[in-house]
Amino acid sequence: MTDQRPPDRDATSDTAPALEAWEVFRQEKEGDAMRHGGSVMAPDAVLAMHYAREMYSRRQESVRLWVVRRTDIHDVSDPDLLQPPLDRSFKKPGGYVMRDKLAKARERAER
Amino acid sequence: MTTIRAALAAGVPADLRRALEELLLSMADDEFVIGFSDSEWTGIAPILEEDIAISSLAQDELGHAAALYALLAQVRDDRSDADAIAYDRQPDEYRHARLLDHGRGDWAMTIARRYLYDTADAVRLEALASSSFAPLRELVDKIRREERYHVMHATTWLERLAAALGEPRDRLIAALEELGSTSSTVFTPLDGEPALLESNTIAAPMAQLEARWRASLSSKFVHLGLPMPPAADLADGRTGHGEPFRWLWTEFTSVRRLEPQATW
Repeated sequence: MTDQRPPDRDATSDTAPALEAWEVFRQEKEGDAMRHGGSVMAPDAVLAMHYAREMYSRRQESVRLWVVRRTDIHDVSDPDLLQPPLDRSFKKPGGYVMRDKLAKARERAER
Repeated sequence: MTTIRAALAAGVPADLRRALEELLLSMADDEFVIGFSDSEWTGIAPILEEDIAISSLAQDELGHAAALYALLAQVRDDRSDADAIAYDRQPDEYRHARLLDHGRGDWAMTIARRYLYDTADAVRLEALASSSFAPLRELVDKIRREERYHVMHATTWLERLAAALGEPRDRLIAALEELGSTSSTVFTPLDGEPALLESNTIAAPMAQLEARWRASLSSKFVHLGLPMPPAADLADGRTGHGEPFRWLWTEFTSVRRLEPQATW
């Protein structure tokens, strides 16, 4: 038998690596936006990619996958930032009548 | 796609046809048996994600087996079909490598067997990549694209088990020791090898392929500090299957034997 200890000491440990969540994004066909597909549990990025492949493309339903460690995602969900209580209707385009202005602008551009 | 009839119509000598049948049967049986063994993990693999991964790998292997059996049936041209070849034989008529005869075992055994098999299969497929028998060459081209991922999966696990000191590493080494002299039986010389070599169906003799495999295996195993498999007695490398295979055979033929004439 050869030496029982692997030479790559840094990679060794006595405890099993903990599973963590990885978010999987998938692209259905070239040019499409990457869309969130779901998540997988895995101890590291390589196994997360293997599992993402099996979970989100084993029936050839994706042309590209992105795998992101969930804790690497910066979450923005504070309602004060995203859903402030004051009236914001003036920030929406609905109140402006644009049709005549647009027609004139087009006319100028074509001249 | 080259038709088999066209490839054979050119007049394949009888000894080459027999050699082709022997080669195709050995490859198909290998894929079929490892596929069935690994499907034994469905529902009980270490974690849910791995359960799906190993089950999907097992399905890949059964797909390769189905394609190889179908090609074999066309070469035989005796009205047998893939299902009949896969299921209607007695256990001692199967020609898979004895590496695949150890039963499912624990996870470390499954990974050890997968790694040894997938790396050996990759060397064998490479030797068929420019085969003069076009239908096989075209099939091998497709199979290799899937097997690339199988080697990646097995390597990922082998490295992790080898690096995790204590029980995972102990179990991996125990599995490699149990596989022992059957480790290289994928390279058991075929009776028809001279005909396959002369016709350029396969690029190199099995003995040469084994040496190639051992060289690449050795660099990996030295790095991970794993014991190299001992030299094998290859005389009965694909025959004399023992009790674990009989059990597996009883499992995988059980539905077929209920109603052999059924159409699926």
